[in-house]
Amino acid sequence: MAGTVIGEGLTIEGELTGDDEVVVHGTVRGTLTTSDAVSVGSSGVVEADLTASSVTVAGQVTGNVVAQERVDIQAGGRLVGDVKSARFTIADGASFKGSVDMDV
Amino acid sequence: MAAATIIGQGTSIRGNLRGSGSIEIRGRVEGDVQVDGDVAIGEDGAVNGSVSGAQILVAGRVGGDLTGSEAVLLERGARVIGDLVAPRIGIAEGALVRGRVRTEGEPTAPRRAAVVPTRRGDTSFIAKQKPAVPAAPKPAPAPPAKVVAPAAAAPVVPPVTLPIAAVEPPPGPPAPVVPSLGKGVKAKKKVKRS
Repeated sequence: MAGTVIGEGLTIEGELTGDDEVVVHGTVRGTLTTSDAVSVGSSGVVEADLTASSVTVAGQVTGNVVAQERVDIQAGGRLVGDVKSARFTIADGASFKGSVDMDV
Repeated sequence: MAAATIIGQGTSIRGNLRGSGSIEIRGRVEGDVQVDGDVAIGEDGAVNGSVSGAQILVAGRVGGDLTGSEAVLLERGARVIGDLVAPRIGIAEGALVRGRVRTEGEPTAPRRAAVVPTRRGDTSFIAKQKPAVPAAPKPAPAPPAKVVAPAAAAPVVPPVTLPIAAVEPPPGPPAPVVPSLGKGVKAKKKVKRS
């Protein structure tokens, strides 16, 4: 397991940047930027603008999401914000509120 | 105990981290770290801010105070500029500290070896560090914050000042002032003479 893991129960308030894969089981408020993938676990809460190569949401995300490759909202996942990505999937049982820009 | 947090080597955080569980920092953190679990700062890890947790293990760099409710352990190669406070404090040879060190509170039984051996046996690095260690850290503890005032105020009592006693010396300058008043009286006499 490589990269950065924000454990459940931990809160980061501020700016998180880097080139690691980031897995969020805790809370991030502010901005989250990485050149690798971001995964928000079912207990994860992200109240931040999110920029990454790909984003997988199983928890809660409030903020705008920009991904170079793809954005996936899994069942139980919740995303409130605008999404800009070439590929975007919303699983059955996921909730989403916002606009989508697939920028073809 | 909540899941562990890892700040990867390629990650930097500008802001505060707080919460439960343990945390391992291999990247950079510009801000305070406050958890109820253990904190490990890896060889490549750097924290610019205060760190508090149960057991704090440092092999990287910290610019800020370290407060451990159980222990603060510095491995060789650690560079800390800040105060250390914990019931148990371990500073390995080759670690660099610039700040005050205070063992405080009831020491708990060590959970692991008092000083965890470093992952790599980088003796060449220690050899380089060694000359700096005896020279810098020993006199350093006093100078950083406190001595700034006493050094200027009390040249009368030079290096004997203890870091804590250093708070007292400021009354030092008044002392010369009193005799100078006495001289003032003489001065008046002189004025009368002339």
